[in-house]
Amino acid sequence: MAVGATHSTTRTARLTLGLLALIVMLCAVGLLSLTTGARAIPVENVWAALTAYDPSATEHRIIWDLRLPRTVAGLLVGAALGLAGSVLQGATRNPLADPSILGIHAGASLFVVLGISLFGLAQLSQYVWLAFAGAGAAMFVVYSVASLGREGATPVKLALAGAAITALLHAIINAILLTSPRTLDELRFWQVGSLAGRDMTIVLQVAPFLAAGAVLAFATARLLDGLAMGDDVARALGQRVGLSRGLAGLAAVILAGGSTAAAGPIAFVGLTVPHVARAITGPSYRWILPYSMLLAPILLLGSDVIGRVIAPPGEVQVGIVTAFLGAPFFIALVRRRKLATL
Amino acid sequence: MFRIAATALILLSSTAIPAFAEGWTYTGGDGKTVTLDAAPVRIIASQDAAAGLIPLGIRPVGIYADSAVADAKALQGLDLTGIEIIGQTWGEVDIEKAAALQPDIIIGEYWPLDTTWSGGDEVVAALSPLAPITGPIQGDSILTLIEDYEALAESLGADLSAPEIAGQKATFETSLDGFKAAVAAKPDLTALAVWAGPDALYVAATPGSAELMDFANWGLKLIDPEVADDRGYWETLSWENADKYQPDLILVDNRSASTMETALAQPTWTLMKAAEAGQVTDWPAFWLRNYAVYAAELDKLTAAITAADAELAP
Repeated sequence: MAVGATHSTTRTARLTLGLLALIVMLCAVGLLSLTTGARAIPVENVWAALTAYDPSATEHRIIWDLRLPRTVAGLLVGAALGLAGSVLQGATRNPLADPSILGIHAGASLFVVLGISLFGLAQLSQYVWLAFAGAGAAMFVVYSVASLGREGATPVKLALAGAAITALLHAIINAILLTSPRTLDELRFWQVGSLAGRDMTIVLQVAPFLAAGAVLAFATARLLDGLAMGDDVARALGQRVGLSRGLAGLAAVILAGGSTAAAGPIAFVGLTVPHVARAITGPSYRWILPYSMLLAPILLLGSDVIGRVIAPPGEVQVGIVTAFLGAPFFIALVRRRKLATL
Repeated sequence: MFRIAATALILLSSTAIPAFAEGWTYTGGDGKTVTLDAAPVRIIASQDAAAGLIPLGIRPVGIYADSAVADAKALQGLDLTGIEIIGQTWGEVDIEKAAALQPDIIIGEYWPLDTTWSGGDEVVAALSPLAPITGPIQGDSILTLIEDYEALAESLGADLSAPEIAGQKATFETSLDGFKAAVAAKPDLTALAVWAGPDALYVAATPGSAELMDFANWGLKLIDPEVADDRGYWETLSWENADKYQPDLILVDNRSASTMETALAQPTWTLMKAAEAGQVTDWPAFWLRNYAVYAAELDKLTAAITAADAELAP
């Protein structure tokens, strides 16, 4: 990478400034998320709720018990989805990679379905661990299948194995759901993906995993840059390709599993955001990762705020809004840029 | 020996049938009249029809349920031994099992809003070639529905004066009197029927459910939502707006126990003063079909109404 020193310095300064701007935007969206909801609460009351909490005041309780947890959940889940998407796209060198392509969503869904249909579980806090275990198990199976054969887990084999396992898992899930409408009823809400109804305990259960996943993801940034040059070049540069891919995969499972556990499978965020980040930063994962981590929660929380206000007195789940916003955006992106440049 | 006895029985019954051969007619909830040479004996019933008929002494040979029989609230507590289960998913029946049962008639409930029978069009299409389909109409009263089942059961040969059957009706009437007295004692008490989901609180409109219409007719003041979306059944409230209505008593849909758990787990559930005061009880939503269970559910309601503070809501 022969880049002039001055050019590199101004570029670094510009990208750092961009990061700061994103942090400001994220704070703004976070504030918007606290002040906007199905119920109109004046800003001064929001401020009063945060600074001088009065448990007997209805509006204060709504801020603390409903909006604060879902805002924090939106920040964490969004950051995790953005990171997971970037890491997966880098590790598999597949521009369409997101948590659904490696069986992570399907695995999480299957375990939740089994929990509901076999053990009658009905609370979100119980789904968290099932979703986590399911995501990990599915990723393990996908990776194991992709590793068979001489070349090991190449990007193409990972994508193929992921698609195959996802199809298999969905067949099992559908078989269970068709014979158990009650399970379908319970699952319907979880499966769309939503930030509503997630209280602080769920957020706190998942937070440590997401933090660990984020640290691991940033630690693999250099390895991802190596993998981006192709397996042969990376190997020639002394990188252990299999190990790199394994570490990145582990980070993705922790992040995607944790976010799916907390909010259900949310579409398009993990897929779209890394492309936006890449369009701003260029190909280096040392920049793509932090940009994705900030852009994704802006998109997710913004979508959630929109979902809260477009259908009063009810709400629209964030998974539906991100799909609506994400799909056309993604199509535009695909048409504008050659994705094969990844 | 058995063979001879069986042959004798068959001969007896074949001579007996012409004696009753004035035929059987029944006008179903769809307005169409079914005519058969004799009262049907081999009945395939929907889960709700079975819940209406079995306590009156009419045992179907097959039942199709909307969900796993273990989850079908309407069938709880009924003796189903010897009855073939031919469907456990809404909209599906095992057509081979159904045909093997050689039914004389299919009994379901007619849903006027959907203009179809229990189980939906596909089930009707699958079953109606085997035998005519009929049954009572899903109206605006569970009591009327039970009375329709009484008339149907009687035409099928049930003896409604049998001690156990008459006893259940008498128990129900006692429960109903108790309910009416409790409501009359608290004329200002208001109630709200809800289904609690993790994403929203669904407030039921009284006309959307026959048992709520009964309660209202018997004097209970039910709060009706302002905007009932979803074909007039529910108003969807974000949990942030859980206190849009302030009843004295909350009735929670008890089709599944998880609904109450979900409600109690919501931080804003207690924005309703009735919830905070624990003035919450079951709403037997859409599954009552016989006197015995109706009496038990009415008793629960009566107890909750009697215990409730009617001055709670403004």
